[in-house]
Amino acid sequence: MAIVAKSSRFSQFGRPVLAWGVGLMFFFPIFWMVLTSFKTDADAVKPEHLIWFTPTFENYLNMTENYDYWRFAKNSVITAVLATAFTLCVGIPCAYAMAFNPSRSTKDVLMWMLSTKMLPAAAVLYPMTFITKSAGLFDTHFLIILVLSLINLPIVVWMLFTYFKEIPKDIIEAGQMDGVNTWGEIKEILIPLAWGGIASTALLCFIFCWNEAYWTVRLTTTDAATLSKLIEGNRAPEGLFFGRLSAVSAAAVGPIVVLGWFCQKQLVQGLTFGAVK
Amino acid sequence: MSARKLPRLLQTPAVLLLLVWMLIPLGMTLYFSFIRYVLNNLRRPEWTSPSLSNWRGFGNYEFVLNSKDFLFAIQNSLFIVCSILFLTVILGILIAVLINKTFPGQGIVRVLLISPFFVMPAVNAVLWINMILDPVLGLQGIAVGSINELLDSLRNAPLLGWFFSLWPDLAPISFRATQTSAYAVIIMVTWQWTPFAVLIFMTSLQSEDQQQKEAAILDGASTWSQFRFLTLPHLARPIAIVVMIQAIFHLSLYAEIEIVSRGNGNKNLPYLIGEFANNNIGAASATGIFAVILANIVAIFLLRMIGKTLME
Repeated sequence: MAIVAKSSRFSQFGRPVLAWGVGLMFFFPIFWMVLTSFKTDADAVKPEHLIWFTPTFENYLNMTENYDYWRFAKNSVITAVLATAFTLCVGIPCAYAMAFNPSRSTKDVLMWMLSTKMLPAAAVLYPMTFITKSAGLFDTHFLIILVLSLINLPIVVWMLFTYFKEIPKDIIEAGQMDGVNTWGEIKEILIPLAWGGIASTALLCFIFCWNEAYWTVRLTTTDAATLSKLIEGNRAPEGLFFGRLSAVSAAAVGPIVVLGWFCQKQLVQGLTFGAVK
Repeated sequence: MSARKLPRLLQTPAVLLLLVWMLIPLGMTLYFSFIRYVLNNLRRPEWTSPSLSNWRGFGNYEFVLNSKDFLFAIQNSLFIVCSILFLTVILGILIAVLINKTFPGQGIVRVLLISPFFVMPAVNAVLWINMILDPVLGLQGIAVGSINELLDSLRNAPLLGWFFSLWPDLAPISFRATQTSAYAVIIMVTWQWTPFAVLIFMTSLQSEDQQQKEAAILDGASTWSQFRFLTLPHLARPIAIVVMIQAIFHLSLYAEIEIVSRGNGNKNLPYLIGEFANNNIGAASATGIFAVILANIVAIFLLRMIGKTLME
């Protein structure tokens, strides 16, 4: 009885207080970035204006002038959206084939796909630079879209495969009986049934594309440069521009963090390849 | 037969794309790693284009293995990866166990906790190294400065002033030096990836056998021994998964190193490859092959584990 009483006192007061403390601590750097983004550059480094300051929107209003933010944001949106769309177009038929017409090699193919995800990107840095420069693709949207698609394709196929596997085979087979062809099956039966799974896969893929920071930095200079490249290029403001840099950083991560809140569950699936249930 | 052939053909685009993506660049890296290939060399212009006549055998590998930079980069990569793994797993378990029970605001705490994971690496690095860790203008500098000010005023206090005058002033740490910037990278990546560990451990805790736990409580098992003998063994597998996935991701850590440590000597393998690739492509490729081998050691174990659950 004593143990029960002790543990319940902890869970009544200790646990919530501790848990909230930990949660706020982890969120603090993001909060601090957002807070700093409402300070002028001068206020941002003054200890007396640490918490009390006159909030200003100038950092957000001047983002175009200071950093050409929207050009980079546009590139991020274009590459992430199109890469996600392309990955789904290739990934859905592939996962469909694997889930409903598996062969003996399906498992090996899937494992091999995942293994491509585990190759360190840096190992092929020079060949990629070489190929893209000689093909005239360096620093183009097309290249970044292709690369983002390829690095996310294994995860997308894997996630879709796990969702499709849950759909009873009978439903698909009933469609076959009715004389629906393969495209019809995918379009009329599979996609409506697995809509939720496809949507969350797409969301996760979009987030990964948006945050990618190796190829987008190494294979772009200006034309296709994304937000990762923009922030990377302003790595050392030496305290001069803390306010405006915070604003542009907050604008770069804000939408994604919010989107991320909605796909916590899928994140576990997508990143552990289903190995944790 | 043909009715089943078409569906199977549907996987070919994906397979072909990934095959090309994997084989061509990797094949080129392998090829470049066996030839002399530099971008600029006035005395030996024939080395500036890839050709079989510049065959060097294992010369690039030898060169890389004998360079101080490489050994340091391997050591540093392992130091950074292992530190991050250690911290994220310990913190992840503690936090997951803490927030797994219901309490007021559990949903909000979860959202707060998971947020760092979605911050793009470049922003993570810029935010930490400037706004938080900067020794003068960041929060660290401001905190150290105000503690020193407080000490100063205490030294002038009557009676106890002599006691405080024995205390030294605090010195802020600059996180842009070689060793300290490795710590900075560890801090920021741990901040970003602890939520990932928490999320996975929580998912796993939800499938813990509750009856077993109740039986243990009835038998008078302490909270600690419940954790030690029931929860921890249950978490063994997710811990292994978290360790391996993170190892693979962090072995190719790039943006954080590039932003925090550019030119200060704190290198890991991907950064060293980038440096070599500015001129000595042969050495960059040989280093790349070493990176592939290192990642594969982890990947084989991970794939085997995933494979077991794949078809269930």
